Amino acid sequence: MVSHAITSSRHVKNSARLKPFPYLGGGFFVLGLSLSNTEGSVESDNAPTPWNVAREAKDATQAKKTPLASGQVQGAFVGRRGRVFWMALRFGVYTLLTVGMYRFWMKTRLRRWYWSSVRIGGIPLEYVGDPLEKVLGFLIAVVFLAFYIGVVNLLLMFASFSLFQGEYPAYILSFAGVIPFWFYARYRARRYVLARTRWRGVRFGLAPGAWGYVGRALALWIVTILSAGMLWPLKTFWLEKYVTDRTWFGTVRMEQGGRWTMLFRPFLNVVFPGVGLAGLMIWVGYSERFKGGEMAAGAVLAVWSLIGLVHYQVQAKRLLANAKRAANMGLVAEPRTRTVFRIYVVGYGIAGIVSSVALVPIALAGLIVFEASGGSMGAVQEILAGMPVWAAPVVGGLSYFAMFLMWSALRQAFVTMPLWRLYADTLSVIGADAMGQVQQRPRDEFAEAEGFAEALDVGAAI
Amino acid sequence: MKSITSTIVRVGRKPAQLGALGAFFDGQSAQAHAVRLSIDETRAELVIAWGNTEVRWPLAEIRAVPDQAEQGDLVLMWPGAPLERLMTDESRIAVRCPELRKPVVKVSRWRIATWANAALASVALIILVLVPRMADQLATFIPPAGEKALGDATLERVRSSLDGTGVGQLALCDAPEGRAALDKMTARLTAGYELATPLDVHVLDQKMINAFALPGGHIVLVDGLIQAAETPEALAAVIAHEVGHVVGRDATRHALRSAGSIGVLGLLFGDFAGGALVLFLTEQLIQANYSQSAESTADSFAHEMLSKAGVSPAALGDMFEGFRKRFGDNDGIVAHFVSHPSLGDRIDAAHRAIQTDMQVRPILGDTAWQALRNICR
Repeated sequence: MVSHAITSSRHVKNSARLKPFPYLGGGFFVLGLSLSNTEGSVESDNAPTPWNVAREAKDATQAKKTPLASGQVQGAFVGRRGRVFWMALRFGVYTLLTVGMYRFWMKTRLRRWYWSSVRIGGIPLEYVGDPLEKVLGFLIAVVFLAFYIGVVNLLLMFASFSLFQGEYPAYILSFAGVIPFWFYARYRARRYVLARTRWRGVRFGLAPGAWGYVGRALALWIVTILSAGMLWPLKTFWLEKYVTDRTWFGTVRMEQGGRWTMLFRPFLNVVFPGVGLAGLMIWVGYSERFKGGEMAAGAVLAVWSLIGLVHYQVQAKRLLANAKRAANMGLVAEPRTRTVFRIYVVGYGIAGIVSSVALVPIALAGLIVFEASGGSMGAVQEILAGMPVWAAPVVGGLSYFAMFLMWSALRQAFVTMPLWRLYADTLSVIGADAMGQVQQRPRDEFAEAEGFAEALDVGAAI
Repeated sequence: MKSITSTIVRVGRKPAQLGALGAFFDGQSAQAHAVRLSIDETRAELVIAWGNTEVRWPLAEIRAVPDQAEQGDLVLMWPGAPLERLMTDESRIAVRCPELRKPVVKVSRWRIATWANAALASVALIILVLVPRMADQLATFIPPAGEKALGDATLERVRSSLDGTGVGQLALCDAPEGRAALDKMTARLTAGYELATPLDVHVLDQKMINAFALPGGHIVLVDGLIQAAETPEALAAVIAHEVGHVVGRDATRHALRSAGSIGVLGLLFGDFAGGALVLFLTEQLIQANYSQSAESTADSFAHEMLSKAGVSPAALGDMFEGFRKRFGDNDGIVAHFVSHPSLGDRIDAAHRAIQTDMQVRPILGDTAWQALRNICR
């Protein structure tokens, strides 16, 4: 039914860059997306109308035609690094100045940008979430959570001191009580984001089912923990399947095909070093030896398991994407572990090094004070006492915020954006000829937006 | 469907030679329509046409979808038909749309305001009514061992938050002679009292003039207060007053209250500001602004305790008097003792409590008092 046409990611980049008129040129004229429609569209009559002339001129400038299978459309990422860096930096400053209130706007605007950067067959995604509905959702979550945190925690604290003479049982119970909410919030946040995502004018959607997700997530986590992590792929697969099977594009429901065992192969690169590390620990504990050989083995195994984790993360995503179906449509994803790992290392490296520059004033001030004191601690204290009271907190605070802002903006520009670009550039949709049959779905009102996720810090993508 | 009244694209001053092209999504299906764009000048409308169909958007109301990554292209919408989208690289259209950058409001301001008020009201209700009420009730049910543990934990927190360096804990003073003098004073005061939990009197090495009670019989005297006290009797009066708070379980109530409200405030303000609030609340715990009735109950308890121990209750009044002379009525440092408006009343009450027939004996000898004053040396 559908053919898996494989294209190299190198080619994808070319096609994205060379497209002078993405909506018409590369998008559906070449790929015949809209040609199948029944209405007499512009391109079906060959009369030399001005529009046809214009279109052909534009087509002619396109050096390469995309050698994709019929009905296959290629994904691309058109956003630029500099833009997202300045956006993140500017919004970060606004967030700081508004004591956190701007974060709802920041999230919305960054999402709009990221969504619009992703173009599949030349047509961008659109994020239509509203910052005010996020504020509203947050307030709704606050009403519920204030009760939980205030009253339930007080009772737990009381019981914990009365029965166990300590506060830790209360903390543990309180944390355990939040776990189901956390999964709930994650599903609801996904539902909100999908409900506010459109492509080709049609809404995505996620059917209600947050509590079902909570139950499965808890059970699968317990299974994973009991199996010492060996059944992690089972958890990955079934949670993804639960969500995917409830995901809709317009009137078309998505389906997660495949089996959980298909994720085992990439997982081996986590299992082997993991078992190795466990064995090494037992050996070190048993022989009480921790010398050069053990250290080297430990370092190798640690790096291997790190790469293995990234490999699993990327390849699980790829395998799961390739096994997704929606009517006659499907996905082809081709991300490479190597690229993702490089993005992590280079991106976090740059973000870490550059943002730590913000700490230079503190270090410099410390050095000056130390020099002036001639190295004696008493003199240092005297100088510090002589400084105005506000000096240390102001210098420290400014440096801290500068570092924090730099870090988050650089992370957007050198980690988040490159990852999005990689995944978008290596994604294509097959069976896209059937797109015309996809109808609009009704709006999911969803008053609480992602309020719980926001309040519980679920760590949504952006 | 209307017929196209003007097929000439007039996007700039001059009519364009070629028709502008765009992709149109009608919001009904995922079908992309390749459309020709023109402007109907007489009606000031953008005409989007394909096949036999045309859609018209008033130029004055067309908006650009904001924050687009590719700034060379236009992604346009019309709030009158919010699901429709037009994508084109014919950027000259932008010139003809005056409201292009105006935001579209989708959420009712009223609903936001309603929920904002509901959220604030419920948080206020929880922090100001529910948590204190529950804390008061629960404080009477907590068993002594639990109360003691709560006090230990609170003392740790107080010591960490008062420590200037921010890494360690503020030291407790324990010079043996001073300790012995303090124990002697405490023993004399509590003789004849059956306390639920044994008293645990600590001295914190800090200049602040303060003393406070914590749950589980912990009484904390700050060295600054010992230095400020003119007589051992004045210090004994302060201890007696704090014992009053211990017996009344006022500190237990406060500790439970703060356990309930710290998390809520952290939720509202996020981790960063939340952390500062936790510090502030710990500070509040030390300042311990108990209610007027809790203060006067502790005062009368102190009067009784001092009388039984053969110390004139006037000592409490003297202590207040001394503070008033030195710091005025409302200095922050002595806020705990002078925070309530009726300092004068409290002094009077202390004097009224003196029984004429009582036997007054000094609570500490000179040597012991000097040792106590040097407990932190």
